[in-house]
Amino acid sequence: MENFTSLILITTGCCAVTIDEKEWSPVSVFRFAKSNDLMKSLALLFLGALPLAAQPYLTFNNRPLGSEEAPLVIQSYLPDPGIDEAVFALHHKGLLAPAYSPKEGRDTDGKEKPGPGIPAGIAVSMGPQLAYVFDSVECRPMYAWQGGFLDFTPYWGDEKRGSRVSKDYVPRLVGSLYYKAEGEHPLSIDGKPVRKPEFIGYSLEKGVPRFEFKAGDHVVKSIIRPVKDSFSYEAEWTCEPSAKLAWKEGAFTALGEGKMKYTFTGKSIAEYHGYQIKVDLSKANAKAGDVLFNAYGCSGCHSTDGSKGYGPSLAGLADSMKELEGSSERVKADTAYLFESIKDPNAKVAKGYPPNYMPPFQLKDVEINSLVLYIQSIGKPE
Amino acid sequence: MKTLLLLPLLATGVMADDFFDDCYKIEDIKLPPGAPPEVGAIDFAPDGTLFVVLRRGDVLRAKPESDPTAFKWELFATGFHNGCGVHAISSSKIRVTQMADMMQVEDTDKDGKGDRYTRFSSGWGLSGNYHETNTLTGDGKDGYFLSIGTASHNGPVFSHVLGDYSPEGRRGRNFSAVKWRGWILHCDAGGKLTPWASGFRMHNGIYRDPDGNLWAGDNQGDWKAVTPLYHIEKGNFYGHPSSLVWDSKWEGRDPLAFYRDNLEQYNKDRTKAAVEIPHMEINRSAGEPMELPRNGSFGPFAGQLLVPDNNGKRISRVMLEKVNGKFQGAVTHFIDDHGLRSGNHRLRFTADGKQFYTGQTVRGWGAPAEGLQRITWVGGVPADIETMKITPKGFVVNFTKEMPDELADRSAWAFSSFTLQPRWVYGSDPENQRPHQIKEIKKTGPKTIEVELEDFSAARIYRLDLKNVKYADGKKRTELQNNMFFYTANELPQ
Repeated sequence: MENFTSLILITTGCCAVTIDEKEWSPVSVFRFAKSNDLMKSLALLFLGALPLAAQPYLTFNNRPLGSEEAPLVIQSYLPDPGIDEAVFALHHKGLLAPAYSPKEGRDTDGKEKPGPGIPAGIAVSMGPQLAYVFDSVECRPMYAWQGGFLDFTPYWGDEKRGSRVSKDYVPRLVGSLYYKAEGEHPLSIDGKPVRKPEFIGYSLEKGVPRFEFKAGDHVVKSIIRPVKDSFSYEAEWTCEPSAKLAWKEGAFTALGEGKMKYTFTGKSIAEYHGYQIKVDLSKANAKAGDVLFNAYGCSGCHSTDGSKGYGPSLAGLADSMKELEGSSERVKADTAYLFESIKDPNAKVAKGYPPNYMPPFQLKDVEINSLVLYIQSIGKPE
Repeated sequence: MKTLLLLPLLATGVMADDFFDDCYKIEDIKLPPGAPPEVGAIDFAPDGTLFVVLRRGDVLRAKPESDPTAFKWELFATGFHNGCGVHAISSSKIRVTQMADMMQVEDTDKDGKGDRYTRFSSGWGLSGNYHETNTLTGDGKDGYFLSIGTASHNGPVFSHVLGDYSPEGRRGRNFSAVKWRGWILHCDAGGKLTPWASGFRMHNGIYRDPDGNLWAGDNQGDWKAVTPLYHIEKGNFYGHPSSLVWDSKWEGRDPLAFYRDNLEQYNKDRTKAAVEIPHMEINRSAGEPMELPRNGSFGPFAGQLLVPDNNGKRISRVMLEKVNGKFQGAVTHFIDDHGLRSGNHRLRFTADGKQFYTGQTVRGWGAPAEGLQRITWVGGVPADIETMKITPKGFVVNFTKEMPDELADRSAWAFSSFTLQPRWVYGSDPENQRPHQIKEIKKTGPKTIEVELEDFSAARIYRLDLKNVKYADGKKRTELQNNMFFYTANELPQ
């Protein structure tokens, strides 16, 4: 923090707060809180989020939160907080790919790296005490945390600017992670480990999801609920037709006949604070412009290598002569032109594009000036 | 600055504002406060209940009201991952195509909220890319056709993906690193999938017409010269190579690299668009096609296809005909502005065929061009070209109304033509542009003109610019609703 005189925290939510590492200490809150209610209210205070029960819809509040009475169940791209490789037994691997030049239409130097993420998980929020992810591919809980849910800002965008973050849009965790799946599927039925489960779906029982999948000839169901103790949840597994159930995950074991119930208690593995980007905007600078260029999704439409895209390329744009729609005059893309084109994109429309094509992003002047400096730092296409 | 903005509008033929209001009414349907109106999909249940699927996962339902601000919305279900297709089986049971699969939601205890979420179909992959959305249309037999969108190079793939991964499919601008991206699949009544057609980039909208013909658009971009409208037939390849990595005939080969350097073979192998829709002038990004009711309940142009523009305040009107056994035809605007928002990509007619709803979103892409609007035919008929059909030597054009003499004069007509070659670049400019002199023009009926053109040949797109003549219509003097038309002449009639 000491390097940043001005911190921009991109977050939405009705009362989003700037979260300093030092102020943010949900672990200590949970450790010392005796009362469940106190825990809830403190957690809400820290999160700056309202429980979803007060608002039935998923809103522009990018930090939605369910409750015990009205859990929130969302399928989305979800963060992978470093889950054991063996857990992804039924996923396939995304590989390093040669970088592609849209300008040349060919592979180019460099590699595109696959990033962490869970493609088909279902996230459940039951209030500040419990959030977890049930995966529809592996048919098991992947991880659990408390003290918040997810920050969808990079994926859903905020209300005014709208855009997702280019290439870095997986929603972020909020809270304390205390359970991560380990090894192959921990469930055995009559001594036979579950290896190729097939997801069926879930039923909402007073809003609480009970997940279902097929494992061989059995239908397995699983419901997970919060408990009073911190870093804990209660899981109930049933199977039809009835059979001996056993759960073995790391050092944790549980047994049952037709029905198996256990409480898992873990300890804090990591703390997550949602989505934030830190840029030094004490004065306009090209580095900040580079970060904002991706954070505001500009790169979705404007290439920096001269290739055609949805909007004009920015390569070699600075100080070039531009043709405009509805005018035979050519204008120089100087600092004032670039500033105006971001601030009021429809004041002058580049040749070949319709009016009102680029939205006004409602940025601060220092952000626009940083973007201008960034655009001016981009070279001409080779 | 106003004048600067007006010029391109004039050039794209926005005319006759007053008369539009005598024909059509556009209303904003108010969604409940607090619900971000990013409409991924809409459908009517048989009892008339309207379902609206929103990008963040909520599904709303309401019975339409005559007052567009008075819908009594209920939250029926929530939690879908960017659901872009919905089939409302009843007022309490729907199916939604989301990113990873197709889910069914049913309200089993009849408390007004879905409580039973079951997977109806799955089998396509999901790489972690934001662009991989999917949508549906019915197959007429309790099954579906599904369009499975590709990924964009503006987004990553995950280290762990859903389904098989192809290194060859990962290459390129829009790519198909996981199964069936860039395909249309058939999904039978039991949810079983069969690959149907390949070669799509972002066919955000698919439609089966009452004759059983299947239609899909695409988005101008790599391997899509402009906005195409395709007539979909089983086994065909529609031009975007990346999807072919999932065709066993291409196993171990890189179709993208191959076609990049073998355009001649590419042109032999691909099925061309039935109608090419110039993206600047008419439609930047095709949404879901939808036929205007054949019984005339929505007024003129009965049976023609509408194609919403996902990136413009426009809905296009396509005049199809079969020539030598294949569909082709003309396109112009149906609505251009007049209070229509951008983001149009889902259309549904009400059961009485007197209104249609348009669902709008730019899907997390910047401008809030989001929401739901309703268009009602209010009884008027615009002065416009009703049909434009090809002849061996030119066109026969029918107008909706008797023509003023000025319009029958050759000076009111200008024809030109061009060709399009899709390739790896993002959109292709028109090539081989040339004007066509009018050899002969004849008024063969009060509403009909026949034109013979010089140098008339197939495999070109013909552009017609009509002079904006005045029509005498009752007490008013009205103008042509549209004066720009494009005819894709893949074939000349034999």
